[in-house]
Amino acid sequence: MPDDPILQLRQVSKRYPGTLAVDRVDLTVRRGEVHAVMGENGAGKSTLMKILAGSFADYTGIIEVDGRAARISSPAQAKTHGIEMIYQELSLAGPLSVAENVLAGRLPRRGFFLDRRTMVAEGRRYLEQVGLDTHPMQPVEMLSQHEAQLVEIAKALSNDPAVLVMDEPTSALSRAEVKRLFAIIARLKQRGVTIIYISHHLSEVYQIADRITVMRDGRKIATVIPADVDPPTLVEMMIGRPATQAQIERKREPGRKRFRVRNFTRAGFFHDIRFFVRAGEILGIGGLAGAGRTELARGLSGVDPVDSGDMIFDGKYVDPASMRACMRQGIAYLTEDRKRQGLALRLSALTNTANAVHAKRGHLLARRQRKELFSCQAAQLQLHPAQPQRQAAQFSGGNQQKVLLGKWLATAPEVLILDEPTRGVDVGAKKVIHEKVVQLADQGKCVLLISSDLPELAALADRVMIMRKGRFTREMSKVELSENAILLAANADREANPHD
Amino acid sequence: MTDARGDRTANERPEVLWLRRLLGGVGIYIVVLLMLFVGTLVSPDFLTSENLLNIVRPVTLLGIVAVGVMFITHGGHYVDLSIPAIMALSGMVAVSTLGLGIVGSVVCGLGAGLLVGLTNGLLIGYLRLNPIIWTLAMNFMLDGLLRWSTGGNQVYPDYTTGAGDAFVNLSRCEMAGVPGITLLLVVLAAVAHLLARRTCFGDQLQLTGSAYDVAATSGVSVRRVILLSFLISSFTTALAGILLASLSKQGTFTNGQGYDFNAVTAVVIGGVALTGGVGTVLGVVGGVLLIGLLGNIMTLAGWGSFDQMIAKGVLFVIVVGGMAYAARRGGRDDE
Repeated sequence: MPDDPILQLRQVSKRYPGTLAVDRVDLTVRRGEVHAVMGENGAGKSTLMKILAGSFADYTGIIEVDGRAARISSPAQAKTHGIEMIYQELSLAGPLSVAENVLAGRLPRRGFFLDRRTMVAEGRRYLEQVGLDTHPMQPVEMLSQHEAQLVEIAKALSNDPAVLVMDEPTSALSRAEVKRLFAIIARLKQRGVTIIYISHHLSEVYQIADRITVMRDGRKIATVIPADVDPPTLVEMMIGRPATQAQIERKREPGRKRFRVRNFTRAGFFHDIRFFVRAGEILGIGGLAGAGRTELARGLSGVDPVDSGDMIFDGKYVDPASMRACMRQGIAYLTEDRKRQGLALRLSALTNTANAVHAKRGHLLARRQRKELFSCQAAQLQLHPAQPQRQAAQFSGGNQQKVLLGKWLATAPEVLILDEPTRGVDVGAKKVIHEKVVQLADQGKCVLLISSDLPELAALADRVMIMRKGRFTREMSKVELSENAILLAANADREANPHD
Repeated sequence: MTDARGDRTANERPEVLWLRRLLGGVGIYIVVLLMLFVGTLVSPDFLTSENLLNIVRPVTLLGIVAVGVMFITHGGHYVDLSIPAIMALSGMVAVSTLGLGIVGSVVCGLGAGLLVGLTNGLLIGYLRLNPIIWTLAMNFMLDGLLRWSTGGNQVYPDYTTGAGDAFVNLSRCEMAGVPGITLLLVVLAAVAHLLARRTCFGDQLQLTGSAYDVAATSGVSVRRVILLSFLISSFTTALAGILLASLSKQGTFTNGQGYDFNAVTAVVIGGVALTGGVGTVLGVVGGVLLIGLLGNIMTLAGWGSFDQMIAKGVLFVIVVGGMAYAARRGGRDDE
């Protein structure tokens, strides 16, 4: 067993204003291994990889490449040390050809002009390495997502890297494409390329990783060999505790079925969605990013069109073709994208609070009513500072979220669709919002809670539906609802049960 | 706010706010007063009632256009560059249909303008075409159409008919010494103010202009709101076009030239943000007055019309540049 470190990190840290994103991490990567890095969102794994790729000049600590200390403060320096990174979002220029993308920055030239023939030959050579047989002069925008990703890999390989970092490379791939990607990874490994593989997916990691490093809250928790740990243990390492967090006390049991959705379909986004929510029930919707949860929420609230399906609330059909009609029947949709879709940042908190009410009613409230509306929401959500004329942009993230929640609560909704209601919010605001959500349920309202925050789902939801690739794949009752179970359900995908 | 400076998210810095304060809302009238003072220095005859009317008269039609265009700017769609063509079209249509009587002719003129506004609004609101490019193309097409359909000739009202006589007098009537078109501007401005401030449409327009995505996910029919803003703009523009034809006693395709740029200048000087969502009717009227004052003072000081064009262009660049600078320094919350 070669224990020959190609990368050695000692006490590496990176501070963002306000937070220590990477906290004194020691990490050893062996030559020729596939090393997986796992952790929840915000655990610091992407930041750590960006340090390796030269995105930050202000990290602290020591990085050794091939046993020699190296200062990596720019992407160019990372490349000279043989480190290449493939980012989550593809960084290809669509209108340019495959070869131009692969060879970007060092296109072969003959005199003043581009040397087209060499370009095609060179391009083809790298494409063969990733098993892609498109013509090198084809524009990248004509390729599929999967092919584009292979081009991205070819581009990284053309610099002849010693270490290849892949950040969530399978997030947009189908099952068959993932298989092909793994075959390529295996081939690269044979050629001696070291691969650092960032992933959420337990099954993938068990399939390809030689070793796994788990990170949490900016720190490295441990580096383990897959055979030594079972998935639940690994999840526990990622989350930091085995049990669920304290429940907020509920005052009443869910009642009759109040909100039903049948055969809800928008081709390509979600299919055959069927569920009900009882009066006073919080239905959680879990799943990974890209599973179609936000699209479903937008369909249910009338923002986006749907192809087919019924929504019935209190025995009456709701027309999903009109957002206004949905709002009038009591549906409110709190968007996940506070800054772009939630609040008009340049307008005052007062105006933002009144916006949805005005749209719902179709006429303006009197000035005095508007003020009352604002102070009522500001008081119950503990908005700070409770100044009606303050620009929305000037509130902190948590208080912006309170303004956003207040905007929808002001419409007196009966069905609340909350999409990541506490994303990017501080602990204090999170507590206020959680308590408010439970209070609303206790009043008999129906709540749909979409969240990637597993402890949040476990603490608030009465039931959780797991969504994957546009479908509900599993339902869990309160009893089986440990946060670990949710993560496992969302992960246990792609036929193979990894551990057997 | 005592903690505004310390607050990380407090993004308006005091040193860049002065310009916006000066230009927004009532601040413009301080500048107007200042210019009145400058005027008295330039000429002793400046503050006569005769000259004050001279200041207002040439910019009244501009005011009527600007009050409508403001709705487009407010909704985040910059400006209607087909203003000159709409004015020329409505004027020519009104003159050509004088046979229907004065009321019929005005209705036809307005209808023609509204038709253009409807087309603009549908294509920009519903198909999301770029407003600058589309209205520029619209202007070009209409201009060609007008020249082609008249063979490049003007049309004149026939004074011998009652309708022709009434048409010419439309822009010349007075009430108690005040020109009727000035009173019309005051009425339109008042209506526009109420529309922008006191109606659901005004509220939704502001939201659409400030944050399109937010409006779309808050139950606002953004497309309809945008369509309406183009309809309003084309209505006041057509009105101005008819009055201009009446004033010049002819309908011609050159009527309305320059109104596009002057209208944007008035709107911008009046403190309406080109990015949408910010601004008042009162400010726009102030902007129009300021343009009138500047023109009057420059004329009294003996500047030619070419010099005045240059001066207005420079003023526009300074104001727009200053506002863009203020916005950037203020920083959008881009975290």
